[in-house]
Amino acid sequence: MTGETAIRPQEPADTTRSLLDTIVASSNDAIIGKTLDGTITSWNAAAEALLGFTAAEVIGRSIQIIIPPDRVEEEDAIIARVRCGETLVHFETERLTKSGQRVPVSLTISPVRDAQGAVVGVSKIARDLSRLRQLYVDLKERQELFLAVLRTVPDGLIVIDARGIVQAVNPAVERIFHYATDELVGRSLNILMPEADRAGHDRYLAHYLATGERRIIGIGRVLRGRRRDGTTFPMELQIEEVSTPGHRLFTGFVRDLTDRHAHERRLAELQADLIHLSRLSELGQTVSALAHEVNQPLAAIANYASGMRRMLGPDAAPELLAAVDKVAAQAERASRIVQGVRSLARKGDRPRRPEALRPVIDETAELALVGPGRDVTLTVRIGDGASHADIDRVQIQQVLFNLIRNAVQALDGRPVRRIEVATRRRGPMVEVLVADTGPGLPEEVRSRLFQPFLTTKAEGLGVGLSICRTIVEAHGGEISAGDRPEGGCVFTFSLPAFEGGTNAPTGAPVAMDQ
Amino acid sequence: MPDNLSGRVVVVDDDEDVLDSFRFMLELAGFSVATYVSAPLFLANIPPDPFCLIVDHQMPVMTGLDLVARLRDSGSGVPVVLVTAATSPAMIAHAARVGVRQVLQKPAREADLIAFVASCR
Repeated sequence: MTGETAIRPQEPADTTRSLLDTIVASSNDAIIGKTLDGTITSWNAAAEALLGFTAAEVIGRSIQIIIPPDRVEEEDAIIARVRCGETLVHFETERLTKSGQRVPVSLTISPVRDAQGAVVGVSKIARDLSRLRQLYVDLKERQELFLAVLRTVPDGLIVIDARGIVQAVNPAVERIFHYATDELVGRSLNILMPEADRAGHDRYLAHYLATGERRIIGIGRVLRGRRRDGTTFPMELQIEEVSTPGHRLFTGFVRDLTDRHAHERRLAELQADLIHLSRLSELGQTVSALAHEVNQPLAAIANYASGMRRMLGPDAAPELLAAVDKVAAQAERASRIVQGVRSLARKGDRPRRPEALRPVIDETAELALVGPGRDVTLTVRIGDGASHADIDRVQIQQVLFNLIRNAVQALDGRPVRRIEVATRRRGPMVEVLVADTGPGLPEEVRSRLFQPFLTTKAEGLGVGLSICRTIVEAHGGEISAGDRPEGGCVFTFSLPAFEGGTNAPTGAPVAMDQ
Repeated sequence: MPDNLSGRVVVVDDDEDVLDSFRFMLELAGFSVATYVSAPLFLANIPPDPFCLIVDHQMPVMTGLDLVARLRDSGSGVPVVLVTAATSPAMIAHAARVGVRQVLQKPAREADLIAFVASCR
């Protein structure tokens, strides 16, 4: 279909007229002429392309054929306004195609006047909006997708402009700072920092804009964040520049370091406890070793005195018998003093209380696996009747920490890196086993492991197995090391079991002379 | 106190002076005595006729309880008194498990030791 066939000029053509006809014919927009009563008088090629009717099919017919039934009233109102000489520009509505489909269009509707200036008809220029609409829908979809992806970013994401004004934030920012998105957008990034830090931040940004020199841009910094309620927390802020034509934006990635810092603080506390305890334990150990060493000659003295007493017989000089008895009595007295000093050292112990072992083990394991133990698999198994023990929690954590750390060291370079912590009931005691898949202990090392004054390497946080022994024995337990049949070694220590306030009786017939 | 015992009282302690004092005291009480300065030394030279053992617990290389456990594993039911400077419930329970007949606080009284040895005849 050509312009000539599409256009039916009503007036004889002069030069101006034919120029106009050419423009109309070649327009990309549909141009439709009609009389005031709605009879179509002209229909260009673009109108044919948009609505599917040929000029021959529609000229002389009512405009109603391209107006959706629900839009008829709207059309009547438009005609009424045009009749009064008004022009409507970019009026968005819908029209029907030949096949009955609705097409979104933008209409510019102008009155057509006769030589006397009277309105005799209407020219309607219709622009197809469907492609634009589709573009808009596509764009919207992509934006939704983009936003959905941003919502999954665990770190806070803040977009600011060159003046530091917040343009957009992701939901993580709301979570971290406790602000709603619309409370932040349009405001300065400053409000997310304590007042003392604000001026510094402004200077950084200004400095970068002026010199291009990076102080924070592209480099993560740890600084304080400020929540909506005014509380502050440690955060890592990394700012990157985004340049797109016509925009200079910055994205700030915020990571809340509260948990990590809390974890590090807990580790530092444990470390401090450990050092303090190791000093106390050294004292306790010294006293314990001293008691043992002094008791040996005292035992010898008592034995010799007993032998002498028997040797002298009942007929010996009374002064001699009395003196030998006094030797034995003084040995006993010295022994009691040693026992007294020992129990005095024990009184420095902290109070014990019933504790659930599972959380004690879990918390310690978490701390002990930091660093080189990261890829070690640790399992915990709590045996029947072995869930609670009467302990000094911190002290037992030191023992567990030490044993797990040792196990981690033993696993260095091993193909299978596994640690198993298990508890089991044994009479009045709960045994805790820490087993690893390491190379196991050489016999000569094992026999001397827990000896007092035998220094083991004080590596990292390790305070030595002799202190573990001191702690376990202060709890009335024992500690030992052995090999597992399947390889690796296992440390076992026992603690007084706790069961609803009463410890089970030992049940074993053992006499003891105190 | 009987003077003609066929067997010997075995004493295991890592302190030579303590061993000598035990020998002095027990021999004067009429027993024949064999002393060993370590558990492995005793295990390597077990006399044919021990009728009871006095064992120190706190010894390097092998503890008194480990020694008793080793003896029980080899089928020996010889009565044992364990002498130790430090007792604890876990240690007493452990001692009971391996079949120690009595635990005495060190230094032990002569009367307790003699009573134990005499009861093992």
